[in-house]
Amino acid sequence: MNLAAMQLEGATKRFGAFLAVDDLSFRVPEGAIVGFLGPNGAGKSTSLRMALGILTPDAGRVSLFGAPPRLEMLRRVGFLPEERGLYKKMSPHAIITYFARLRGMDADPARRRADELLDAAGLGEFSRSRISKLSKGMAQKVQILSTLAHKPDLLILDEPFSGLDPVNQQDLEALIRAEHARGATILFSTHVMEHAERLCETIVMMARGRKVFDGRLEAAYSALGQRARIAVTDGFDLHAALSPAGFTAEPEPEEAGRKWWQVQLPPGCDAQDALRAAVDKGAPIAGFAPQLARLRDVFVSLVGEAEALELPRQESST
Amino acid sequence: MIGSIYLVARRDYLGYVTAWGFWLGLLLTPVLLGAGMIAPTLAASSEPVRHFTIIDGNDAFRDALMEEMSESRADAVRFQIETLELVGSGNGPGALEAFNAALEGGASLEDAISATGQGATLSVPQRDYAYVPPPAGSLEQLRPWLLGERQIETEAGPAPLFAVLVVKPDRIEYWSENVTEGGLKSLARDAATRLTRARVFAQAGVDPGILERISAATPELEEKRVRDQAGAPSEVTLADRAPFIVSIAIAFLLWTLIFSVVNYLLMGTIEERSNKIFDSLLTSVSLSHLLAGKLIAVLAVSLTLMAVWGLGGTAVTVLVGAALPSGAAGLIETFAAAALNPAILLPALLSFLLGYLMFGALFLALGSLCDTIQEAQTLMTPLLVLLMVPLFMLVIAIENPESPIIGVMSWIPVFTPFLLILRMPTEPAIWEVAALLVLMAAAAMVILWLATRVYRAGAVHGAGVNDALAWMKNRLPGLGKPAP
Repeated sequence: MNLAAMQLEGATKRFGAFLAVDDLSFRVPEGAIVGFLGPNGAGKSTSLRMALGILTPDAGRVSLFGAPPRLEMLRRVGFLPEERGLYKKMSPHAIITYFARLRGMDADPARRRADELLDAAGLGEFSRSRISKLSKGMAQKVQILSTLAHKPDLLILDEPFSGLDPVNQQDLEALIRAEHARGATILFSTHVMEHAERLCETIVMMARGRKVFDGRLEAAYSALGQRARIAVTDGFDLHAALSPAGFTAEPEPEEAGRKWWQVQLPPGCDAQDALRAAVDKGAPIAGFAPQLARLRDVFVSLVGEAEALELPRQESST
Repeated sequence: MIGSIYLVARRDYLGYVTAWGFWLGLLLTPVLLGAGMIAPTLAASSEPVRHFTIIDGNDAFRDALMEEMSESRADAVRFQIETLELVGSGNGPGALEAFNAALEGGASLEDAISATGQGATLSVPQRDYAYVPPPAGSLEQLRPWLLGERQIETEAGPAPLFAVLVVKPDRIEYWSENVTEGGLKSLARDAATRLTRARVFAQAGVDPGILERISAATPELEEKRVRDQAGAPSEVTLADRAPFIVSIAIAFLLWTLIFSVVNYLLMGTIEERSNKIFDSLLTSVSLSHLLAGKLIAVLAVSLTLMAVWGLGGTAVTVLVGAALPSGAAGLIETFAAAALNPAILLPALLSFLLGYLMFGALFLALGSLCDTIQEAQTLMTPLLVLLMVPLFMLVIAIENPESPIIGVMSWIPVFTPFLLILRMPTEPAIWEVAALLVLMAAAAMVILWLATRVYRAGAVHGAGVNDALAWMKNRLPGLGKPAP
């Protein structure tokens, strides 16, 4: 098993009578990209703040690279907080240099790194402008760059995509992949499941302060089960036809002379197998739509529809 | 550790000194202070001569008033002569005697000044009031002049009539549209007293000159001071009074400086809170280093201000020093010597450092709870009221530097930074000074510890003004409870 870049063991945090995080345990193996998912108020940010030593857990333990989250460990971490902000009178170059130096870089390499990052992000011409003169998206990019400047071993991004337009979300996804390729371990929290679907190998799902899932993405999908939609005509009973092959089909309301059926795929079968079985049984096929499971559906299956209402649909077209 | 403190301090310091507000304060403060100091003199010298008239059956009251006015101007010259004597730039006691003798001999004020041998140093006080014959015979007829509808003719051209004094058997009526000015009223009272005294003495058969003889025969009260060295001059000079004056000035300066610069801390912290920078900072630097860096940054700002003002003041003194009259140069030397006396300077520096630490930490803590300056004002109001107390103590110290209340109040740690310095010229016991310094240091540490906790609550847990007010209501009886 890889060493854990970050680990929480039974971490609990209360704010007065409110239980924000309840007995949370999970680990982020070195070299992984982990998505930390859940609706707003699920306890994601509180968990991350505990992991970083900003908040002290009321119970349980947290560690970074096997040690308590002290400053020397934090210097190996790049953290993008959910509540973002910068010194408005400073320039992007000065801010990136400042945070890089606070995290242990020497002055000259920090300045060079700031120039390099700003040029790569297309912000070179604004490197000496005041942050207050930049657009919100640009300022957010600067803050993201300031978390990367010291080439951290662990990158923790709390809702990194919120507030970014689709193009910048795509750029950020590319940046996360590049950082991962460099060797950084990445943990990012989001309430938009689609980002996690594209980026993560492993996910941790939270709801109401508790962990509801922790594992690989495929395991999450298989926990839900895959489905397909098949349309037939002439009142054909698809359920009766597919049952012997191990498929379960449920009818949907009839539309324009054809009837759609939701077909539940047993483990190890895909949508093509169901279609093939239907054709073999002589079903008059009028439509076919393989239904890929989405993380949102996984979340719904784990915590129920009411909880899932807190999750937004995808925020962009990416 | 030093690295992160230095980086925080450097960033904050550069942030403050590159703001236009800093330069405005740096340049405007001495200009405004200078303007404030010379404004009363300028205002007095630019005041036009005010013309008045008298309605009286005879000229007795007018003559008495003119005599009072001459005497008032002569007193102003005497004050100048005595001041020069006090700072050691006078011509000795003979100057005052020569001035008085010349006046008694019937010389004009200008000639009497020349007789002192210090004509170049002394200035002739300007006339504040001038008598004009009444342009009309009765008060009713004088109404247009008093109301400004008509002007009187003077040698300098038309001028408004400032006041009319109507002498009646049992009183003197003072008629003027200006209800605040009191100089002429005071002179009129003195003139009436002078006249009445002469009349009553005459009625009683007493020689009116008896008062002058009593005055001449009254022995002078000479202020003396016992010196450590036997045989040293015992006269009380300005050098004896300078430490008291300097200590009041330094205490005021400390108060002004501390409350000017701690505002930087308040504003800076509010900016960080409202810009949501705390989480980024607290994962890059420890809380104690962050606070230390912030306090050092603003301390450096205040040292920069002091250095620039100090160097600027020295440069101006050197540049214009040669042009200063000998009296002014002596005055500056006397006060500079008092200010640089280690018995004043060292407690002043320590008071500044510890006072800055106390109030800086308090303002940092306040800032961490506030998103806007309006919120900060809510919490600052009681603090500002508290901070007015040292100013009241300064007023008391001006009247009586050795007032017991200053001694008592100096033991309240938040006031000690300003009041210890006021006590230093009274030469308190060494143990007392040491105890006050230790108390101040201990209080600074306690406040710093408390402020760190509040800062953590604000920066980490997002506690705000409402949380702070709720906390106070829970702990302070009576707060927030409806009146019965």
